[in-house]
Amino acid sequence: MAINNKVAPKAGKEKRKGLNKLERNYMGWVFIAPWLIGFLIFKLYPFASSLVYSFTDFHLFKGMTKVGLFNYIKIFTDEDIMKALWVTIKYAFTTVPLKLVAALFIAYILNFKIKFVNAFRTAYYIPSILGGSVAIAVLWKALFRDNGLINTGLAMFGAEGINWLSEPKYALFIISLLRVWQFGSAMVIFLAALKGVPTDLYEAATIDGAGKWKQFFSITVPMITPVIFYNLITQLVQAFQEFNGPYIITQGGPLQSTTLISLLVYNKAFRSYEMGISSAMAWVMFLIVMVLTIISFVSQKYWVYYGDEDGKGGK
Amino acid sequence: MKKLLAILLVAAMAFTMVACGGAASSAPVTSTSDAASSSAEVGSEPVTIRFCWWGGDSRHEATQKAVDAFMAKYPNITVETEFGAWTDWETNVATQIMAGTAPDLMQINWNWINSYSADGSAFLDLNTVSDILDLSQFPQDSLAKCVVGQNLQSVPVSMTGRIFYWNKTTFDKAGISVPTSLEELMAAGQTFKTKLGDDYYPLVAGEYDRMILMTYYLESIYGKDWVVDGKVNYTVDEIQKGLEWLTSLEEAHVMPTLKKLAGDGAESIDKNQNWIDGHYAGIWEWDSSASKMTKAAEGQEIVVGDFFTDIGEYQGGFTKVSMGFSISANTKHPAETALLMNFLLNEAEGVEIMASERGIPVSAIALKTCKEKGLLNEMVAEANGKVMAYSKYNLDPTYEDAGLKGNPDGVYYKVMSKLSYGEKDAAASAADLLAGVTEVLEK
Repeated sequence: MAINNKVAPKAGKEKRKGLNKLERNYMGWVFIAPWLIGFLIFKLYPFASSLVYSFTDFHLFKGMTKVGLFNYIKIFTDEDIMKALWVTIKYAFTTVPLKLVAALFIAYILNFKIKFVNAFRTAYYIPSILGGSVAIAVLWKALFRDNGLINTGLAMFGAEGINWLSEPKYALFIISLLRVWQFGSAMVIFLAALKGVPTDLYEAATIDGAGKWKQFFSITVPMITPVIFYNLITQLVQAFQEFNGPYIITQGGPLQSTTLISLLVYNKAFRSYEMGISSAMAWVMFLIVMVLTIISFVSQKYWVYYGDEDGKGGK
Repeated sequence: MKKLLAILLVAAMAFTMVACGGAASSAPVTSTSDAASSSAEVGSEPVTIRFCWWGGDSRHEATQKAVDAFMAKYPNITVETEFGAWTDWETNVATQIMAGTAPDLMQINWNWINSYSADGSAFLDLNTVSDILDLSQFPQDSLAKCVVGQNLQSVPVSMTGRIFYWNKTTFDKAGISVPTSLEELMAAGQTFKTKLGDDYYPLVAGEYDRMILMTYYLESIYGKDWVVDGKVNYTVDEIQKGLEWLTSLEEAHVMPTLKKLAGDGAESIDKNQNWIDGHYAGIWEWDSSASKMTKAAEGQEIVVGDFFTDIGEYQGGFTKVSMGFSISANTKHPAETALLMNFLLNEAEGVEIMASERGIPVSAIALKTCKEKGLLNEMVAEANGKVMAYSKYNLDPTYEDAGLKGNPDGVYYKVMSKLSYGEKDAAASAADLLAGVTEVLEK
């Protein structure tokens, strides 16, 4: 027993030492390996290979030859693709500002101490949970068709129905409206930011005679500009990736007025199997989003307030 | 640690290459004759094969039942089934074909043999299993339509073509009989408008329907196939005439504009409330779609129409292979798969269960069995009989190319919608259609 008592702690010590070394040097990598492998297979490899494909005429069933910049030249000379790019930009620049304004406005109201505030917050957040769901897109279609609920409602007031889905000038707006309606997630982030604005600023402003609107534009908005900036970037990226809405509600029609570039990428890749041009379109879309993001980052020094002297937000 | 990181990255990259390269390395490169000769006879060892198809619930139930009967008859063969609706089905199967993981037996659309196997590499040459699959039951001309790259890549399950279906209940309400000529159809437009209202139309047609309807019209007048030797067989003036005719149907209140149709917000005509309740009283549809369209307009009497003989002096309209069965070139069990195919297409037990779920059978023995047992859907049989007796023209497989019939960027969709919305006139639309189809044919 005495011998055992002496040996056992030594063996245990050795074992612990080994484990510590493993933990220190290797365990971290082992833990992130599943993610790393997934990232390499499902993100990095497709990302890199799509760049290579974009310089080829890769067709799933006809093989692949190098075509240089042909696909990129085609994108900027093809009437349909240029129209889709323009429609995508219009969609993004309609949806993002409307969504941010709606989210901020509702968050501002829900920041006051009003009755049933939690119920209201839940109600406004629910559409976001539904996200890009197919069911919601189908519901949207049913609401806005010629004999749908919206036109039926208008008829009750004697107003003439509008061809929401079949009139090119309205169809894109209807698609945008679906995403604007789902402002809940942006609203929750705004709400958290609003809670973080120091109350003494409002008290001082009130003493100085500033009204609610003045306080909102001169205190609230400047103080939450980092969050506005964050929401702007994330919503912009989402808007350029929109697919479900136009795919289900209008199938890109009428007259291709809701054909976003993502729809064309999908059709070219998985219906015509033209991976080359499809990859090039995806890269053009990526570059547009990247340029807009860079512009936003560069511009933030003019309008985003980080509350420290160097304006680098905690760095 | 750097070493480990390097090892991990290399391992992950290697895994990536293997995973992504696996598709390429197992791509359909197997010689069809090798595949067949490697297992020329049905063995007694347990084997598992895969079978996929698309369709509606009734087809799923019947096919699954037939597969169960097959497995009961051949207990050493297990059949794993994969089925679903048509939407995006082609994308799903095409990806599997490309990756070399396609099921052993596939229900295919006719144009797939051209689109995915122009060199005969995706589907097995069925002549190599003709000792198991009884090809003598199929007319030579229908088999000839499935020969691409000198291989018999598919066997036609049924033949199909377009025909008019009329909602007799609505026509009765308007006080007129269903049209049997173009003249009567044109007159019906005004009758519907005055007697039933602005929102009643004797015919409805989407973008692709319009293309097929126009082809029927042109074939009736000019008596020639749409495409011959890989080239459009019509001049721009002739196409313009066809498009002007389509416009005249809208102007005469015969069919609603595409704007009206888009406003209905329906995915397809059978799901359109105006078809369901009889506001749209006619369609130009595949003969095999009779059940679907009739079921949608429940409670109303839908009848099969006649071809119009007053359009021109020729019998317009085309027939094509509705769908076929093909065996993957990569199958490891060609004999067992051919046995299943033969069971479904030619053997009485399988045929009786399948009946006309995939249209009127092309197989002579299957047709005989179905007729004797009274298993054919009467309306489908009537429609198919009329189509096969009347329509005299052939369809080029590229007619259904995704670049043409794709929505929203297919040539047919763009041309038909711009014409109907008034964005382009018939002359400009004809030029666009001719250029668009020619571009696809030359690819």
